[in-house]
Amino acid sequence: MSRKHDEWGWMLAADFFFAGLGGAMLAIAGIADLFLGDAQTSVLGNFAGAIFIAIGAGLLILELGRPFQAFRVFMNPKSILTFGAWNMTFAIIAGLLFASFGITILPWSGFILVRKFLAAFCVIFGLVVATYPGVLLARHKARPFWNGPGIMVLFFLSSFITGMAGHILSGYVIGESSWFIAEGYIVSSFSSLVLQDLPHLTAIMLLFQLIFWAGYIWIKRSGGTEREAEAAQRWVNGDLSASFQLGFILLGTIVPIVLLLFTTPAIHSVGACLAILGGAIMRYLVVRAGEDRTWLPGEQKYRSRLPVGDEEFLKVWK
Amino acid sequence: MKRNFDFEQEGIQVKKSCCYFCHQNCGVLAYVKDDKVLAIEGDPDFPTNTGGLCCRGNIALLHLDHPDRINYPLKRIGKRGEGKWQRISWDQALDEIAAKLAQIREEYGAEAVATAGGTQRTDDWARRRFMNLFGSPNGFHNSHLCWIPTFMIETAVCGWSPFEIDLANSRCIVLWGQNPGASNMPEMHHLSELKQKNGLKIITIDPRFTETAAKSDLWLPLRPGSDLALALAWLHVIIYEGLYDPVFVENYCEGFGELANHVEQFTPEWAEPLTWLSADLIRESARMYAMNKPGNIQWGVAMDQQGRASGAAIHARILIRAITGNLDVPGSDLLTGPSLEFITDEEMEANEYLSEEQKAKQIGADKFKLLTWPGYSKIAEMSKKYWGKAPTAEWMCEAHPPSVFRAILTGDPYPVKALLVSATNPVNSYGESKLVLEALRAVDFMVTCEYWMTPTAALSDYVLPIAGALERPTITSSYGCSDFLLASQRAIKPMYERRNDYNFWRDLGIRLGQEDMWPWETVEDAYLHKLEPLGYGSDSYDEFVEYWRFHFPERQYQKYLDKGGFGTPSGKIELYSSVLKDLGYSPLPEYVGPVENEIDHPELAKEYPLVLSTGNGFMPFHHSEHFQIPDVRFLNSEPYFQINPETAEEYGIKEGDWVWIETQRGRMKQKADVTQAVAPRVIITQRGWWFPERKMEEPDLAGCLESNTNVLTSTRDEDCCPLSGTWANRGLLCKIYKVDSTEQKEDN
Amino acid sequence: MARYAMVIDTRRCIGCQSCTVACKVHNELPVDMIYNPVTTVGPTGVFPNLHMVHIPLLCMHCENTPCVDACPTGASLRREDGIVWIDEKKCVGCKACVMACPYGARIFNQEKGIVQKCDFCLDRVEKGNIPRCVQSCHQKARIFGDLDDPNSEVAKLKNSHHTVRLLDELGSKPSVFYIYGLEARMK
Repeated sequence: MSRKHDEWGWMLAADFFFAGLGGAMLAIAGIADLFLGDAQTSVLGNFAGAIFIAIGAGLLILELGRPFQAFRVFMNPKSILTFGAWNMTFAIIAGLLFASFGITILPWSGFILVRKFLAAFCVIFGLVVATYPGVLLARHKARPFWNGPGIMVLFFLSSFITGMAGHILSGYVIGESSWFIAEGYIVSSFSSLVLQDLPHLTAIMLLFQLIFWAGYIWIKRSGGTEREAEAAQRWVNGDLSASFQLGFILLGTIVPIVLLLFTTPAIHSVGACLAILGGAIMRYLVVRAGEDRTWLPGEQKYRSRLPVGDEEFLKVWK
Repeated sequence: MKRNFDFEQEGIQVKKSCCYFCHQNCGVLAYVKDDKVLAIEGDPDFPTNTGGLCCRGNIALLHLDHPDRINYPLKRIGKRGEGKWQRISWDQALDEIAAKLAQIREEYGAEAVATAGGTQRTDDWARRRFMNLFGSPNGFHNSHLCWIPTFMIETAVCGWSPFEIDLANSRCIVLWGQNPGASNMPEMHHLSELKQKNGLKIITIDPRFTETAAKSDLWLPLRPGSDLALALAWLHVIIYEGLYDPVFVENYCEGFGELANHVEQFTPEWAEPLTWLSADLIRESARMYAMNKPGNIQWGVAMDQQGRASGAAIHARILIRAITGNLDVPGSDLLTGPSLEFITDEEMEANEYLSEEQKAKQIGADKFKLLTWPGYSKIAEMSKKYWGKAPTAEWMCEAHPPSVFRAILTGDPYPVKALLVSATNPVNSYGESKLVLEALRAVDFMVTCEYWMTPTAALSDYVLPIAGALERPTITSSYGCSDFLLASQRAIKPMYERRNDYNFWRDLGIRLGQEDMWPWETVEDAYLHKLEPLGYGSDSYDEFVEYWRFHFPERQYQKYLDKGGFGTPSGKIELYSSVLKDLGYSPLPEYVGPVENEIDHPELAKEYPLVLSTGNGFMPFHHSEHFQIPDVRFLNSEPYFQINPETAEEYGIKEGDWVWIETQRGRMKQKADVTQAVAPRVIITQRGWWFPERKMEEPDLAGCLESNTNVLTSTRDEDCCPLSGTWANRGLLCKIYKVDSTEQKEDN
Repeated sequence: MARYAMVIDTRRCIGCQSCTVACKVHNELPVDMIYNPVTTVGPTGVFPNLHMVHIPLLCMHCENTPCVDACPTGASLRREDGIVWIDEKKCVGCKACVMACPYGARIFNQEKGIVQKCDFCLDRVEKGNIPRCVQSCHQKARIFGDLDDPNSEVAKLKNSHHTVRLLDELGSKPSVFYIYGLEARMK
């Protein structure tokens, strides 16, 4: 990694993305297992949930100024990040254990009750992991684009959309590799009703996402403070608007809706991929939007005149 | 100061030093151990700063051992400006320099050797002593730009410059072309205190809305260079509205009738189109000063820097104080006279050793008489008669710098073959930088005493390392003209092979036959000699600093009562000045417009339609200093000039755009600070800019002309003040245009 | 127990940046780290009817600290006397506090990998001294002391003048109070 950001950068955004994706996948797997029957989600999807959360945690650690001291983030119970760290840890463990029940060769794969307990943990921890980043951002009083309950809803929604898309994709991948199921002693989810219905559900959620985002931007633009309006303007026709409108809205939301309404699994998978990509883009844009702070008097002009960092006089006399 | 600094650690010595980065010389406590300065802080017991320390004082430790400091004597090998040096010993350097100077004196006369200084940063009496004994009358500083014309004209009129402001008892102060908010921290503090406690009225006369103007009761944003018109209009208002002090005028002033007749024509309505101030505002401000007595007019460099119009403006300003009786009474501007209690700078200069024949050769004395031997002799004589002592010659009696640079280039009036430079970077701070640079490149022999490898040092034959802040003792006494003094000691011995510049002049002098005249081996010895008559009985200078630190005599008001008048030929304040008349100048301030203006020079104004002013100080720099201290440079990393939004729009200039600013002398570029702080059509540039991070080699010399505002100023004889010779930094005409991003780097 | 606070009298501040540099030098910060910016608002208005005010900024040492709440390692702490500081050993540089602080007071130190900020010169205050910025200010525009001591200058100023906290509506309850002159207040 080159020069680390002075504030949160793309690694945090990627962490939010993976946490949302993985947490939701776990929660979906858990709910499906508890209420809808066995093998409703693919084993690949179950493992992927836990692994994605782990990737997110890994990125979180790399973003730190002192990664080798990362264990310290578990220390302050009042902090949302600590809460998130513990929950991510439990989610990873619960997820991996739960998913392992899908490998028939393992001795414990028949203990249904244990599996159900683990499923419950997956639901709880998965939900927390999928939701807490949104809550974290929403509580930033001084970041006008983030502040307020809206971003919590948008993140939650995106987590579940990407989570569902994740399961669709995993289901497809593992479905296409049926030899692996037999060879690898892996439980098949071929007859899963959940997996079959997920595309439609995801399409509906994507529609919600479209409406909520339009509403969120509109509310920030005209229903909040001046700073909120300025921050939202970056999404309408500022530096974030191209990525937002083309990347997230068009490619990441509208196109997947269309694709998910088809019937072929292959096309569903493409749609799922795009929805997941959209979720990643969105998290990145939101973190970028967090650069806007409610400026103190005179502060913007002051900071705009400071050197950028590559000036000669900063290097010559080291 | 450093975090967790242990003040009480073993072996710590506290030295009562001072900040060395402006004239205030604020007291600094230096914590020294094993001859290393570990930490510094403002001295809470020092009377002027009471513990405060500005951004420049705070970086003293970064200045002290900066990687770019010159630490060893250097001799040029290779071509001038190539950047090739040989490190030599001080002895070798001094031997060779002395030999060269002796040779030049033999061939061309002592007058062919000139010295250049900057603002007061060194013990200039030592420099003058050397030059007097050597036989050359051609020492100079930037005195013309800084207070000296004021001092001399005011002394000519009333016997001494009333620069001691008795603020504590004052009711109104006029800051005429002064911005203490950026240049005089202790003064600004006093103003704020008195404003809050006593309701002191503050009038600021400045084309810019400065930090100080923002805290004033009245702000007069006059057209740059129109101070003379304003001052004459004030005189008119004060006389014709009966606001002058009739008793004081009757008893102590001469020439009131002539003055009254003279200023009848200078009504506020007359001044309105010249100053861009409404007649009402002119009246209001004059009344505020005249009716809130006692009051002060604080001197600022602005008036000294207007070239042709400076002398008359300064003259008018002292008359304003005189007719309102705001002289030497409590709460007004005091004429303290030189100190009779300690040995003044003038007494250390050995002026009597310079022959009349040599004095007559002083370059510029034929054209500008007041700040040269003709004028100085008169004033010194007058002063000695009344006070017993004379003002400092090094400052008040100097060769005319632009004329010396021209003499180097043209040989007229005679060739100047050597330039000894100490504490200045002439290409940066003298007018018409391109001319100065040419002269520096052309002079046969140049020696520079410096901290840094400036463009001037880079072009020199020898560069000598000089002791700076924390390495040298300092006596502060207003260019040797105050009746008080503040004393500070050095914190450590000079590092590496740096020496005090006192020793440079002394050692050079000894090698040139002046040995008998330099009995004080160190500068501390010389200081002790100066302080001895005070009777504190210290055995050493350091002892004086440690126990006494400063000397303030008891304030005496209205000395003219005891002394039977003022220190002028007539014994009265000469509103109609006989001294100026005798020197061939107008005895009353005559109106003359700014050096370049749209009324007198309409053709010029067609090509150069905007009004330019340069030269004002601003934090965190001081002249050309601190551009190489990253912590300071970080806060102000690029040059900005001020331009009104209306004018900016007219030229399509946006905030932060690089813009060429051009006058008849040349052009330089700075970035646009689009602000309401200046009037439309006024351009105010920043001074001092050079880029020490760049290569210090010919031809670029670290961009010494690129954003240097002195490229724009004028030093032509006809643009200089006829009395003082000060040249024109302010009240000029310019044109501007954006820097094209595809433009090649042009040579200036 | 003391309750430390600072009053900044903008009627006196001239924006000279001395406190900025004094703080930087005292804390031996990398060149690009500034705990103590001094901004300028204005000149506001239309020439020549203008006013201008300079605003020194610093860590506000809030009572309701968003930064301490955000810190996952417990490195950010608020003392009983009101000073908010960072235990550098515990800081991992996650920058949650940087994002949480409404005043931009916290800065990530690239070289050390931790977050740092003004701590009211804790090492000096503990020995009965005043912060460097306060000492360095020529204009005496910064006043520091114990609000609970009715004789302290801070308490007297705060009780006799109308003072303002920046971004008060966010509810973090800063311990830094600003006094504005009349023209600045009417903007």
